[in-house]
Amino acid sequence: MGAIKSAPAAVLNEPVGSIRGGTSLVLSHIGKSFAAGAGVFLAVEDVSLTVSPGEFVAIVGASGCGKSTILRMIAGLETPDRGDIRAGGTPVAGTGLDRGLVFQEPRLMPWLTVEQNIALALQNVPWTAAQRSAVIEEHIELVGLNGFAQAFPRQLSGGMAQRVAIARGLVARPEILLLDEPFGALDALTKVRLQTELQRIWQAEAITMLLVTHDVEEAVFLADRVVVMSPRPGRITAIESVDLPRPRDRAAADFVTLKSSILAALGET
Amino acid sequence: MSGAAGHAIHAPRATSGGIVPRRVPRFVQPAWRNLLVGLLVPCALLTVWAAAGALDRLPALILPAPGAVLIALRDIIQSGDLGSALAISFLRLAEGFGLGALAGLAVGATMGLSRLGERIIRPTLMGFVQIPVLAWVPLLMIPFGIGETLKCISIGIAAFAPVAMNSFKGLRQVDPKLMEVGTLYRFSAAQRLRHILLPGALPSIFTGLRLGLTQAWQSLVVVELVASTNGIGYLAVMARQMFQLDQMLAVMLVIGVCGFALDKSLRSAEARLGRRFGGVAR
Amino acid sequence: MTAASRVNPLTGLILPVGLVAIWQIAAGTGAIDPTIWASPAAVLQQTRAALADGSLLADLAASLERDLAGLCLGIPVGLAAGTLLALSNLADRLFNPSLTAIRQVALFSWVPLISLWLGSDDTAKIAFVSYAVFFPVMLNTYQAVHGADQKLVEVGRMLCLSRIQMLRRIILPAALPGIATGVHLALIYGWLATIGAEYLFSAGPGIGSALMTGRAQFRMDMVIVGMAAIAVVGMTLNVAAGYGERRLLRSRGGAGA
Repeated sequence: MGAIKSAPAAVLNEPVGSIRGGTSLVLSHIGKSFAAGAGVFLAVEDVSLTVSPGEFVAIVGASGCGKSTILRMIAGLETPDRGDIRAGGTPVAGTGLDRGLVFQEPRLMPWLTVEQNIALALQNVPWTAAQRSAVIEEHIELVGLNGFAQAFPRQLSGGMAQRVAIARGLVARPEILLLDEPFGALDALTKVRLQTELQRIWQAEAITMLLVTHDVEEAVFLADRVVVMSPRPGRITAIESVDLPRPRDRAAADFVTLKSSILAALGET
Repeated sequence: MSGAAGHAIHAPRATSGGIVPRRVPRFVQPAWRNLLVGLLVPCALLTVWAAAGALDRLPALILPAPGAVLIALRDIIQSGDLGSALAISFLRLAEGFGLGALAGLAVGATMGLSRLGERIIRPTLMGFVQIPVLAWVPLLMIPFGIGETLKCISIGIAAFAPVAMNSFKGLRQVDPKLMEVGTLYRFSAAQRLRHILLPGALPSIFTGLRLGLTQAWQSLVVVELVASTNGIGYLAVMARQMFQLDQMLAVMLVIGVCGFALDKSLRSAEARLGRRFGGVAR
Repeated sequence: MTAASRVNPLTGLILPVGLVAIWQIAAGTGAIDPTIWASPAAVLQQTRAALADGSLLADLAASLERDLAGLCLGIPVGLAAGTLLALSNLADRLFNPSLTAIRQVALFSWVPLISLWLGSDDTAKIAFVSYAVFFPVMLNTYQAVHGADQKLVEVGRMLCLSRIQMLRRIILPAALPGIATGVHLALIYGWLATIGAEYLFSAGPGIGSALMTGRAQFRMDMVIVGMAAIAVVGMTLNVAAGYGERRLLRSRGGAGA
């Protein structure tokens, strides 16, 4: 696997269809402030985190704890005021094809079909048309949307649209997939189903995933480690390892215990 | 089964007070700077224009020097021509708008409050608005000549349609949830009208009045250009006949300022009304 | 509780039929002066005559030709200006205030000036129509491009789209409905300006000119026929534009996720 540069014109050296691993992600003493009226609001204060290649890390916290801000800084949509972010050893400077992002809303282009929406991610990837169709088809299958390639977003349910967004996030073969409360807008049943899907996809793709959520159960179900953050100012208060074997049983005693202790940690703000 | 062992849970540090963040765009310009940049182009053009005039490179029939325009403006102010023209025009506007707005409110209210009224009137109204105001002028000129009646009716027609449509829609679009509250408390029709319908429709009605006034103003200008012997439009026509470009441009400037003032004041009134009466039923 | 009201489509006809009937009766009994007020019968007769000798259609054709020319000039310029101002912050701050100021001057006040600069023939009329069409197109395009959903733009940033790709694949498609509205308005205002231009500039073939001729000859029947023709064309343009807008929206999948 070749190293992937963060620059927009990333050149991907692997052949289509290979199994990939993710890269590491290192945040060192990240800080970010926003102007607010007369003063300044400290959204994120001195956050440091190391994510191993292929690891699944979840960040939980109440609103305003800066978890989305951190994700956007890793994605390159915002820049930290202090500190350093490195993806696979390379400093992060702006967006890059090595990092994919799934937003809370699917954010699909209403005028493009499912297939075209996913293809949008391949605009700047130097593959042939044949390679593109192959990888798009592969990812449509990966997210379980066989047969919907020609559908328009308005014909999809919320869960299906979000799956398309996930496929779009993965199709350019990023090293890291960032997910910003991806299931927040969905009903409980769809949410559980998609969480299972996401776990399956992660195991299939074996890339690094960083999930931001306010749903502790979701975090414990999916992640290797759960980072607990608290607001005002946003900082990490705890990091819990989830050593449970997958697939995880939400009703199991150790699952519930872990979930409770994390909820307790969240409550201490 | 060995579950999760004790995990180190860091105690939270003492925190500073929280303020709700407001993301400020990176390159926010102070208002005065925006004003200066906005004035750049007109100032540059004015300079070129004035220079061309000073260098005698401007044929007076195409474009008089800016100074000449200002002098012409001063002249028509001092001679009282501008004042009397504006007085006549605004009076006309008020009469025509008043007529059209009243008719519009009456029709709009009838359609909005009575389903039968809507069914009878609406198709005709839809057809009526297809005829541009301009098209009425020659028709009205046959019986009414170029007197005040013609202008009053033309301006009234222009104001009528937006007022009628917006009043109608405003009354119909009052949040049904609010109407339900009225039903819950067994409001009579009059109570419903007074406490729910009218206040709820007020922002729309005002929008209709604003749009109607804008249309009335535009029609005033046309009518005074086509068929008038006084008023601000006529001043422009006169200047045109006598090839007095400087006066014509001065009049155009005045028309622009008047239009702007009318629109601006109505918009701010509308916004205030919207804040007072608007909002969403929770 | 409420009985289903039987909506009788004929209720919509009560008013117009009633008015025309009153009109015909008034004309027939001489309650209104026949030398001034034409009767519905006279109008019908004139319609037939104008259609038969082809004058109505010739007039309409002349007007529509000018309308089209004005649209072809004003719409592209409006599109370009709106897009430029929406995309370039600098251009926006430089030109928007000046354009807003110019827009304050009532449309028809420009006619005397244009007649002095360009004379009174077709050139002047077409120039006026182009001007009338420019602002609706420019404003709607500006709003549509400027207001392109920022959430979708962020997706473009995540996918590392270049500036041109962003424009082509996200911003312009997202702005298309708003732009279509601008063109719709352009059709309406363009037709209005065409008619008005014919009143105010010199005579020449055209439906507006026919109206003025009818007025000069105190032929109200001619005037009414002209008015009806103007209304019919205006309505057709409106309906066609609305239809086009809906088709556009449908082919794009409508409002999506």
